[in-house]
Amino acid sequence: MRSSSVGWLFLAPTLLILFVFGVLPFLYVLVIGFTQWNSFAADPEMRFTGADNFRRLVFDDQFLYSLWLTLKFAFFAVVSEIVLGYFLAQAFMRDFPGKGFFRTIHTLPLVIAPIAVGATWRLLTVPGLGPLPYYLNRWFGYEFNISRYIDQAFFTTVVMDVWHWTPLVTLTLLAALSSLPKEPFEQAQIDGANRFQIFWHITLPLLKPAILATVFIRMMDALRTVDEVWMLTGGGPGAATRYIGLHIWRVVFPKTDYGYGSAMSLITLYLTIVLCWMLYAGLVARRDLKRAD
Amino acid sequence: MSDRAEKTEGRRHGFLPIETNAFDRVFIAVLLFVALHLFWMRFVEAALPLGVATVLSLVLGAIIVMRG
Amino acid sequence: MRHLRNKASASLGAILFWLISSIVTLLPIYWMFVVSARSRVQLFGSPSFLITSFFTENYTSTVSDPAFQRYMVNSIVIATANAVLVTTLALFATYALSRYKLPGKENLFFWTITNRMAPPAVFLLPLFLLYTQVFVVADVRLFDTKIGLILLYCVFNLPFAIWTLRGMIDAIPKELDEAAFVDGANTWQVLTKVILPLAKPGLAVTGILTWVFAWNEYLFAATLTSVHARTITTGLAEFVTVTGTNWGRMAATAMLTLVPALLVLGLAQRHIVAGLTFGAVKE
Repeated sequence: MRSSSVGWLFLAPTLLILFVFGVLPFLYVLVIGFTQWNSFAADPEMRFTGADNFRRLVFDDQFLYSLWLTLKFAFFAVVSEIVLGYFLAQAFMRDFPGKGFFRTIHTLPLVIAPIAVGATWRLLTVPGLGPLPYYLNRWFGYEFNISRYIDQAFFTTVVMDVWHWTPLVTLTLLAALSSLPKEPFEQAQIDGANRFQIFWHITLPLLKPAILATVFIRMMDALRTVDEVWMLTGGGPGAATRYIGLHIWRVVFPKTDYGYGSAMSLITLYLTIVLCWMLYAGLVARRDLKRAD
Repeated sequence: MSDRAEKTEGRRHGFLPIETNAFDRVFIAVLLFVALHLFWMRFVEAALPLGVATVLSLVLGAIIVMRG
Repeated sequence: MRHLRNKASASLGAILFWLISSIVTLLPIYWMFVVSARSRVQLFGSPSFLITSFFTENYTSTVSDPAFQRYMVNSIVIATANAVLVTTLALFATYALSRYKLPGKENLFFWTITNRMAPPAVFLLPLFLLYTQVFVVADVRLFDTKIGLILLYCVFNLPFAIWTLRGMIDAIPKELDEAAFVDGANTWQVLTKVILPLAKPGLAVTGILTWVFAWNEYLFAATLTSVHARTITTGLAEFVTVTGTNWGRMAATAMLTLVPALLVLGLAQRHIVAGLTFGAVKE
């Protein structure tokens, strides 16, 4: 009755789709990455060229700059989100009327299409239309123009990401905080520990798994951000916000240099995997240490 | 979760800072293989051919898989 | 007494804190609504947050635009078909993972999630080449077809659905299936008569969230379609490049893109965070 072949039969359609549209593209890009293939070049045929693409890639300043920008963006965004999200979650631990309502509001950004988030922030920041440049200039005399100033554009994309994803961190950490045991905190209060000591020695270690898991999920998302930034700045001014996804999609892809583009995609995937694995190893290693004692 | 038992099987603590199973060690070896080649192409290839990196990373990989 | 007063002021502080952060959260969306309710002339000068009159033409001209209608229909068809397909296949897959002894099934389960984690930009190039040059039967290509997008969206929605459903199917007692088998039911009947009714709430939540993910997707829709299968998100992005200055209509289109998000918020609010963290967080 319960033969495993029936089980495999149930799994078959899922595995087939994941193979054809997930694994096959990966294998394909793995092959093309080692070839020279450009359908509009003098020699449009696919030719095997070994590691030549990668040789070119490690000296490609635009690509390396874009990688650096992506890391910088992910770092600033995720750190701000964790810090801000933690404080919001702490504030939310208290009971007060209308809690459910506030919670609903904070879930809203999570379901909005990234492209619409980009549109929203564009409307906020466009000079001559958006309230942000207008009021910053009127109240503080600050000239805000993200199509002109590199740092402003970069930090606006970070702020946008913080606006979009802090609620996820808040709600995740809130769930973790609510499930913490009460005794260590009561004991610490009896022992006369101050707030910072309680935070540093009790809350933080207990929350570590939840924080690491959130960092992991947010990091993976931040590294592949494309839609919002494309809508907000188009990668500009210049290449100031051209994160790696945008770089592949808008700069390398239209050149139809398939071999080189595939090599770049592969290296991006490689770096994502390395980072992902390092975060995950950190996560698991910590848990194993805890289990040992 | 039932996968825990499956995962702890064949785990050990070698010179690597974390507990690993065979798959983890091969995975680390492959990651290092790629990393060393990229580094070599950028900084060393002018002086030494890429083949040296291949040999080096294969040796390193073998050590990790067996002793890590 | 003092304790009580402290408590009251603390919760007042918390309310104030949350009020401010709620305003910050809502302000960008509210501003978009304001822009969508104004004519071109009203938009210039000092930006005011007050809506004094509602300029409906932004909405009426958007809705009556045949291109917009086509995008909207495409998006609805693609998201719905994807949600139905993903939920059905995920139910089969999780049933198999939960009830059958399959060698390596836990590794398989973990492997599925890597499809979700991978950066989409990396797969643009191979998928574009596959869709335009390799997956070709006679004259039919997957490029610029709805079915192409529907199947592709399965790659990142199926792992999500499997991870969300796994816990729910595991929670259904095995004794129920055993009893049905003893009564002479076959596997298909057990799945449809025993598991399906009990898993319905979970399936509904999974379907709703899958629908939103498919609706929100932009990068693949923009790259793997050209005319016939364009979706609403690509339509929204086109406003920037084609008619860059018509802010009112862009805002109206964006507002219409938001409508499903608001519906989902009402329907599955409690499950959104769990969904986005692959079930790691239960609220």
